[in-house]
Amino acid sequence: MSGASFHNAPPLLPRDKASLAAPPAHPRHQKTGTRGPIHRIRWSVLPALGRYASPVILVLLWQAACSTGLISTRLFASPLQILATGWGLAQDGTLQANLGVSLLRAASGLALALATGISLALIAALSRIGENVIDAPIQILRTLPVLALAPLFILWFGIGELPKVLLVALGATFPVYLNLHKGIRAIDPKLLEMAHTIGLSRWQRIRNVILPGALPDLLVGTRLAVSIAWLMLVVAEQINASSGIGHMMMDAQDFLRTDIIFVGLAIYGLLGLISDQGVRILERRALVWRQPSAQGRGQNHD
Amino acid sequence: MTETLSHNKETYQNTSQPAVRVRGLSRRFGNNPPVLHGLDLTIAPGEFVALLGHSGSGKSTLLRTLAGLDPVTEGEVSTPDEISVVFQESRLLPWKTVWENVALAQQSATRAQATRLLDEVGLAHRQDAWPLTLSGGEAQRAALARALIREPAFLMLDEPFAALDALTRLRMQALVATLWQRHHSAVLLVTHDVDEALTLADRAIVLDKGRIRLDMPIPLERPRRHADPVFERLRTQLLEELGVHT
Ligand SMILES: Nc1ncnc2c1ncn2[C@@H]1O[C@H](COP(=O)(O)OP(=O)(O)O)[C@@H](O)[C@H]1O
Ligand SMILES: [Mg+2]
Repeated sequence: MSGASFHNAPPLLPRDKASLAAPPAHPRHQKTGTRGPIHRIRWSVLPALGRYASPVILVLLWQAACSTGLISTRLFASPLQILATGWGLAQDGTLQANLGVSLLRAASGLALALATGISLALIAALSRIGENVIDAPIQILRTLPVLALAPLFILWFGIGELPKVLLVALGATFPVYLNLHKGIRAIDPKLLEMAHTIGLSRWQRIRNVILPGALPDLLVGTRLAVSIAWLMLVVAEQINASSGIGHMMMDAQDFLRTDIIFVGLAIYGLLGLISDQGVRILERRALVWRQPSAQGRGQNHD
Repeated sequence: MTETLSHNKETYQNTSQPAVRVRGLSRRFGNNPPVLHGLDLTIAPGEFVALLGHSGSGKSTLLRTLAGLDPVTEGEVSTPDEISVVFQESRLLPWKTVWENVALAQQSATRAQATRLLDEVGLAHRQDAWPLTLSGGEAQRAALARALIREPAFLMLDEPFAALDALTRLRMQALVATLWQRHHSAVLLVTHDVDEALTLADRAIVLDKGRIRLDMPIPLERPRRHADPVFERLRTQLLEELGVHT
């Protein structure tokens, strides 16, 4: 398991890959599971620097352009200014308060989407009636751009938390439903047959065969759902809100505070990155069985 | 042929209730000629029957009907309550470890029980492995352990070793012989391998166009030697019934 993360880290590094591909060259590191990764990290430092050099240089240029007055700092806050503003907002608690509100909205929306998407997919995939009643409408609805519903949601649900959470939930439900539905449909019928011959009840079949079999697809759907959730949240918070990161940015717009807007952008970016990584980690944990090498020596012969 | 059948019927009716009894079983798919055609078959408790026949002769259909996977549309079928099936593919759940797969087949099974059965099939050392890391032979051993933890009165094997290499297959045959003697379940083994049938079974049945073409007792002591002249004779006879002339 420990080594697996390096396969997924932005891999770049031809040299690092070579060391992964040809482990027999270092039998010493092969034996002890703990030494291999350390060895690899050291190798990957240099190429990783290469990868991040370009963004760092761009930021430096940006700072230089602002400092020399090449860019108007009213339209384009400088990186240092953004850092200072971010620090200030964190000091007086504004940032935390708004971040907390946004996080809560995203989390509730996502939770709602997962619950709805999973239930609907199970019903649709496991019963003929469910398929007819649920799948057809969802397939039609999913072609609608959900963001276009924002004005309606505000009319229907007012300006409180509800329309925002529901908008997030609605957008995020589709990928959860569609992927899980597909995953359940794709389960090997031979495994279901086997479950029947060993006398599993319907619920046991769902728990032991159907859900774990469709888990890879559910996780793909969840990852999409997370990124859609942020997107929906940005829009919901900018249209009509009195708190949240989006609101903080709209407020800043009124006072021409580009530095605050950039802080908001950075926060959204970080949130997206962190939550995506979170789902990836979950994926790796939950799907160990798919990586035979993670459990010992691979194919054995008797 | 009818003579052989009635002979069997008498024998087992006199001794005890049969484990498996099939009467006039017919099965057709769509408008094609029937895959099973008025089939009669009796298997005694603890009896080992090998089922041979050309590809498409209806062996799997018969077995699936006995396993309750296909419906009985015409005729009668009675089987014990405790049955198990092993297919050509192990059909282990890849997301459960080997011992979990075994334990899942019996509602009240403990880990210790699963381990004991895995030990019987020589796979205790792999009980924590993920199924995708097993070799073909190991996977079939696990499938056998899963079938046996149900303590079946009737065990069905549908070409369980067909996908294995020759050496592994011989080992698996020896294992099945041992397990059968220990567990005393009635066995129906579908196989293409005439030697496998003669090595393991009490009786060999040849299925042809949905009917039983031959029902042949194998009156040989165990363990069986391929060099035995009776073995040779039965083998020639079976091959001839299968349309292979030696
Ligand atoms: N579900 C099905 N639908 C239609 N035809 C089938 C089905 N299952 C089996 N058959 C047909 O029944 C015949 C016997 O199949 P099967 O019992 O699998 O043969 P065997 O196991 O002896 O090779 C074949 O001709 C096959 O095409
Ligand atoms: Mg078959």
